[in-house]
Amino acid sequence: MQKYEKLEKIGEGTYGTVFKAKNRETLEIVAMKRVRLDDDDEGVPSSALREICLLKELKHKNIVRLYDVLHSEKKLVLIFEYCEQDLKKYFDSLNCDIDMNIVKSFLYQLLRGLAFCHNNNVLHRDLKPQNLLITRSGELKLADFGLARAFGIPVKCYSAEVVTLWYRPPDVLFGAKLYTTSIDMWSAGCIFSELANNGRPLFPGTDVDDQLKKIFKVLGTPTEESWPGVTQLPDYKPFPIYVPNLNLPQMVPRLNIKGRDLLQKLIVCRPSGRISADEAMAHPYFHDNPRPAPKTK
Amino acid sequence: MAGNFWQSSHYQQWILDKQDLIRERQQDLAVLSEEEYQKIFIFFSNFIQVLGEHLKLRQQVIATATVYFKRFYARNSLKNIDPLLLAPTCLFLASKVEEFGQISNSRMINTCQGVVKTKFGYAYPQEFPYRANHILECEFYLLENLDCCLIVYQPYRPLLQMIQDIGHEDQLLSLAWRLVNDSLRTDVCLLYAPYQIAIGCLQIACVIQQKDGLKSWFAELNVDIDKIQEITRYIVNLFELWKSYNEKTEIHSLLAKMPKAKPQSNR
Repeated sequence: MQKYEKLEKIGEGTYGTVFKAKNRETLEIVAMKRVRLDDDDEGVPSSALREICLLKELKHKNIVRLYDVLHSEKKLVLIFEYCEQDLKKYFDSLNCDIDMNIVKSFLYQLLRGLAFCHNNNVLHRDLKPQNLLITRSGELKLADFGLARAFGIPVKCYSAEVVTLWYRPPDVLFGAKLYTTSIDMWSAGCIFSELANNGRPLFPGTDVDDQLKKIFKVLGTPTEESWPGVTQLPDYKPFPIYVPNLNLPQMVPRLNIKGRDLLQKLIVCRPSGRISADEAMAHPYFHDNPRPAPKTK
Repeated sequence: MAGNFWQSSHYQQWILDKQDLIRERQQDLAVLSEEEYQKIFIFFSNFIQVLGEHLKLRQQVIATATVYFKRFYARNSLKNIDPLLLAPTCLFLASKVEEFGQISNSRMINTCQGVVKTKFGYAYPQEFPYRANHILECEFYLLENLDCCLIVYQPYRPLLQMIQDIGHEDQLLSLAWRLVNDSLRTDVCLLYAPYQIAIGCLQIACVIQQKDGLKSWFAELNVDIDKIQEITRYIVNLFELWKSYNEKTEIHSLLAKMPKAKPQSNR
């Protein structure tokens, strides 16, 4: 532990406090996540283990790097690459309209990180601006994989209530137990809209009912015709029938037509109707100049 | 995680070289013969298996725990941590990583006490000596020595895919599946990729069940035949060893001979 000098506190993660710290030898700045081990019966919390083992396998420029895992007496400390801020703080620090090229670049990097996760059979499950880290040079990295899980192994149901309400898709809000990559695509859509609106959230619901109502008022209340199986979901209950009222020019006024088309393909109530990360990266929105990022493969 | 094996920590960090393995074991092999060393590992693989079955864990979790156990001692002497403590710790960690329902530490200790008393009294006449705090401390140590590489690929999935490709062969599958379980009593999980182990086990199963018709299927596989041969040799050697080995009468003196931690520090 002497290797790192603790600096100020940066935030609270799913299972512990995050500090900025400095490597005493290399002077490199890192993020230090201290894992609370208060439950003697559990040992190292499974959320921390999940993050450790997934990040050990997922090495990508749009995914935060785990450098080191240290342990002392009764503490476990994860050392991550340091990023200046997260997207939430980035929004808070904006004092004029966000540059639409930055919107495009951030979304592209988010999709690229997600595509890598999904192609490796990992769901993030908890995408939100606080979990997207931004470096000084404008790189975006997915972080906080405490709720992420691999989905390749056949497991019947995944634990419910995992995504922060605002970014939760309707299937999860209705208690769907079988998650697929589509859960992250909905969240990506919500974040896309938030980016294009300088950090104003798309569906800021106060509780599950309010969240669903806000979604249906825009996208229309789903029916068995538009979404076969919706009424069979564990927590399904009927909502007033709202007709779709998707006025994108009003919703995301600064987004161009191609961007609106992509957004519309992400926020689809029926999970199987949502575009995948790979498809989204190939969307014409990213063909226009300026390109979001040099094409590297 | 069913990601890409070729980019995994399993492939990049934990397919070991046979010569390295032998070198790492020098300290223990100064005290034990190679055969005695293997017998001790067979015993603890059995212990993990029985313990896991009592905890109603899936075979995947048990196999992962066994691989953790073998990886740990591929880098450590037996005297660094008592294997009787490391074995339940591996299961404890694997059950969390494989996300198949967390086992509470207290349940783990209770099960260890019960299993040692009822099933392994011939090896450990005394009561199981460890408590929850030992497992917690040991978990840290294990995590560190595994370099946090916790995702382990197993031969079961490639085996199922191959059986599917061959066509419905239930008897062949169940025999090959048991051979994969047996392979955990050898070093193959440290030395070869899981799909190679699956092919090796399937090949032995075909020989036992005289499935000559599958020769052409094997011939079409694009694999390193020498590696498959090595794997089958490991497993056949295990069967040879089992023929003349009575664990119940021999293991107690082997465990007495095993290099041990100094009694003062519990590492």
